[in-house]
Amino acid sequence: MQATTQPVFFKQGPKPFSLLLIYASLSLTLLVVDVRWQILQPVRETVSVALYPLQWLATAPISAAQQVGDYFVSQTALQRENRKLQDDKLLASSELMRLQALRQENTQLRALLSTRAAHQGKGTLTEVLYNDRDPFTAKLVVDRGESSGVRLGQVVIDPQGVVGQVTRLQPLTAEVTLVSNKGHTVPVQVVRNGVRAVLYGLGPENPLEVHWMPLNADIRSDDVLVTSGIDGTYPPGLPVARVKRVDRNAGSAFARISCEPAADIDKHRFLLILDERRDQPARPVEQAAKPARRGAHKEPA
Amino acid sequence: MPVSSQLLKPVKRSFIVFTFIVALTLALIPWGPMVRAFLPDFVALTLLYWCMNQPRHVGVGWAFWLAMLLDIADGNVFGQHGLAYCATSWFVLGRHRQLGMFPLWQQALYVAPLLLANQLIMLLVRMATGSGFPGWSYFVGTLSGALLWPLLSQLLQAPQRVDKPAEIQS
Repeated sequence: MQATTQPVFFKQGPKPFSLLLIYASLSLTLLVVDVRWQILQPVRETVSVALYPLQWLATAPISAAQQVGDYFVSQTALQRENRKLQDDKLLASSELMRLQALRQENTQLRALLSTRAAHQGKGTLTEVLYNDRDPFTAKLVVDRGESSGVRLGQVVIDPQGVVGQVTRLQPLTAEVTLVSNKGHTVPVQVVRNGVRAVLYGLGPENPLEVHWMPLNADIRSDDVLVTSGIDGTYPPGLPVARVKRVDRNAGSAFARISCEPAADIDKHRFLLILDERRDQPARPVEQAAKPARRGAHKEPA
Repeated sequence: MPVSSQLLKPVKRSFIVFTFIVALTLALIPWGPMVRAFLPDFVALTLLYWCMNQPRHVGVGWAFWLAMLLDIADGNVFGQHGLAYCATSWFVLGRHRQLGMFPLWQQALYVAPLLLANQLIMLLVRMATGSGFPGWSYFVGTLSGALLWPLLSQLLQAPQRVDKPAEIQS
């Protein structure tokens, strides 16, 4: 009623309150639609394209300032950064070298682990501390000793075969005599035909040799020698050596059979000390005198 | 000096659009989180200014469409800014004659609760749609907006002022 009587000059379109109602309800509708159904994504995308120039305008001064700042980076800063990068590179390359060594070590350890599993999990993993200082003997010192339960005479192997035998014990370390030590003997057996023999070490850098075999002994090159187990020290069946050459010289009574060790006796860092206690018949002791004498002493007291 | 005591040139519509573009750009600048907490809502301030001083040009409709743009730019839910801006702009429109006579600091006192209402409505909408409480620093922008009001009013009025020689003539 009032609207029709108003002069044109006062016409301002719909009243603010009705506009408010319209737009507020529109806002609420949009809100609900957007939250509930997420169907306004295309609208959003289209309008955001239109907004892009404004966004560019808002961010352009900042990125431009950053670019200018980058351009005027001082030379000292560059040098410092360069030096730091070089240091980092050195550090990284040393790390890389260590990583390679560690990888190698890891494969060794894994191989030993499987070896240990083959021996029913009995055995002590040990690390080689150093070669014995004496150049005439082939011995190693390892980082397990009496305190770890290592006993004299235990056999030390690597994934390929026998390395040696524990010959001296300290509380924390043990000395391992390698099969190549001069005078070290291992009773062996040829896998192919079961011929028994004794393998002698001839000192470091020298091949192993099988002594005291007649000229017609059935041993050929490439025969694999394994421990026979008849000595009670070495468990049977561990590979020890491979025959390299057989010289049958008519001038001597015995064949000269040189072998090379099956194990990498001078290469590894980790070895396995086998723990296979073998029951042997008790050593005959002179029992006659001792108990009698002790008993005689105790009786009067 | 009350604003209404000056004789002003009519405003150009293009100038209004320009100020809104500037306000939107300011809102879109990627400020750091620290600065953003202290920054006022430029679009709301500009909108309230024009609603107060040019109610025949700028009204609830402007508020709604600007709010839509802001919602899209910020990636918020649609209608978050819309509700707030429509409500406060309507409030200013209803009292623009009275407000226009106040000195600027008094206007600022009036604008502060409106800005706060803006923030509160938006907060309500966000929390109703599942967002968490953003912390009390969210309301610092209200205070800085009120403090900025006199400066902003002077700035937006500058193109409308009559030049000195012209003033002498009239």
